[in-house]
Amino acid sequence: MLSENKHTLGTFEHALENLRNNVMTMASQTERSLNRALKGLMERDDKIASVAIADDEEIDQLEKQIDKEGIELLLRFQPVASDLRRVVSAMKLSSNLERMADQATNIARKARKLNKHPALPEILLLNPMIEHAMSMFRDSVDAYVREDAQAARAIIPQDDALDKMNAQVSRQLIDRMARDPEQLRGYINLMFIARHLERVGDHATNIGEDAVYAAAAEDIRHQQVVASA
Amino acid sequence: MVVMEKEEIPHPAPPLKLQKPPEPEPRQPDMISVEDVDFSYSAHQVLYDVNLEIPSRAVTAFIGPSGCGKTTLLRCFNRMNDLIDGARITSGSIELDGYNINAPDVDVVDLRRRVGMVFQKSNPVPRSIYENVAYGLRVLGATKKSAINEAVEKSLRAAALWDEVKDRLDSSAYGLSGGQQQRLCIARALAVEPEVVLMDEPCSALDPIATAKVEELIYQLRENFTIVIVTHNMQQAGRCSNYTAFFYLGRLIEFGSTSKIFSNPSERKTEDYITGRFG
Repeated sequence: MLSENKHTLGTFEHALENLRNNVMTMASQTERSLNRALKGLMERDDKIASVAIADDEEIDQLEKQIDKEGIELLLRFQPVASDLRRVVSAMKLSSNLERMADQATNIARKARKLNKHPALPEILLLNPMIEHAMSMFRDSVDAYVREDAQAARAIIPQDDALDKMNAQVSRQLIDRMARDPEQLRGYINLMFIARHLERVGDHATNIGEDAVYAAAAEDIRHQQVVASA
Repeated sequence: MVVMEKEEIPHPAPPLKLQKPPEPEPRQPDMISVEDVDFSYSAHQVLYDVNLEIPSRAVTAFIGPSGCGKTTLLRCFNRMNDLIDGARITSGSIELDGYNINAPDVDVVDLRRRVGMVFQKSNPVPRSIYENVAYGLRVLGATKKSAINEAVEKSLRAAALWDEVKDRLDSSAYGLSGGQQQRLCIARALAVEPEVVLMDEPCSALDPIATAKVEELIYQLRENFTIVIVTHNMQQAGRCSNYTAFFYLGRLIEFGSTSKIFSNPSERKTEDYITGRFG
């Protein structure tokens, strides 16, 4: 249960609000970094890919800042119930966002390598994955911000679709490698990028799970493992 | 040329045995049963239709804003409210281990032996440490010196005070620190072997170290006693109780395991109170 009433203690209210704002800032910077990396890849723009790589430093600092603020909140105000869940999920979210930003950096690096060689038409195979992964990212952050457990739950099954897309793209690229070994290096880089996109989906799933925990106090992680154990 | 020995394949690592969190303690049979209780101070009603089952051998914390009726209910359990003019349960009943504590044939002195109480401010009598603990036993008619000695030592040990006072049992209780005086009062309550110990904000006048000692004591005592504690300190309720009851404006709003109440309460009012959104 989440309360909409304000805390009697204004400093506590302010600290929680600040933490939430920093998470939202970090999410928007991560999204921008992913978009830049993908633009650098699809438009063969080294400059924008380099900007995406440079973005990572700022996002790393934000992760540290959120951790510091979260720890201070726990220390000073000893939050309980929904407040505690908000702080814990903010800290976990920032960790996932930081890893997503790392994937943006990885994609940008691969993009710069690919851009050194003539364009590969197979790059278009990535388009559905890009769309799906970015949609998962936006939906998961949106569910967290709106504290919408139902929307957050809806993210989880989307990850399977992204995994399948990744497997399909890999099969197609392996097939191309066999037929055109000259482009082996390029195809391998495309396979790596598909893998990075798949990881973005994994982190979006984690964010969805954290959003469910924050909003509904339910731990929905690893349920398949538990069910089959 | 160096010939590399064939690399031995290490034995597969034994499967990890993860430490599992302790199972929640099974709920013990109920010791105190509150049914449909209304309570008034003359014309002023302060408790409304309270229903509550307090399990034995566990710590139950009563929380809620000032004036919500938690202390009033606590004082009903050993009929301390009888001492206030016009104060009475207007409907409903309270049972201790199956017996109605307000029945006409109940011996109030015996009830208060079975249901001891520790107050907000430590209140030792102006006698020695020994006499403070022996006091209740003498009131109940104990005269045998060896039996009293034994009970005093047992109670002081149970209150985690024995090691600090064993060499000065004849010194005045007023020479003890605030925390020690409070533990002495707990020892005094334990000396008459109660089944229930009621504690009304027992740590509110203590420093953090003395508070930690009393909390540790409360946690240990739950193995042998049923403890009901009124506290304004949310962290204290979270640390040392098994169950928590939240009261608001004379009504019991929510009762449940402390971990549930402090992680995901079912009622909005509980959530607002424990997260500091009242006011």
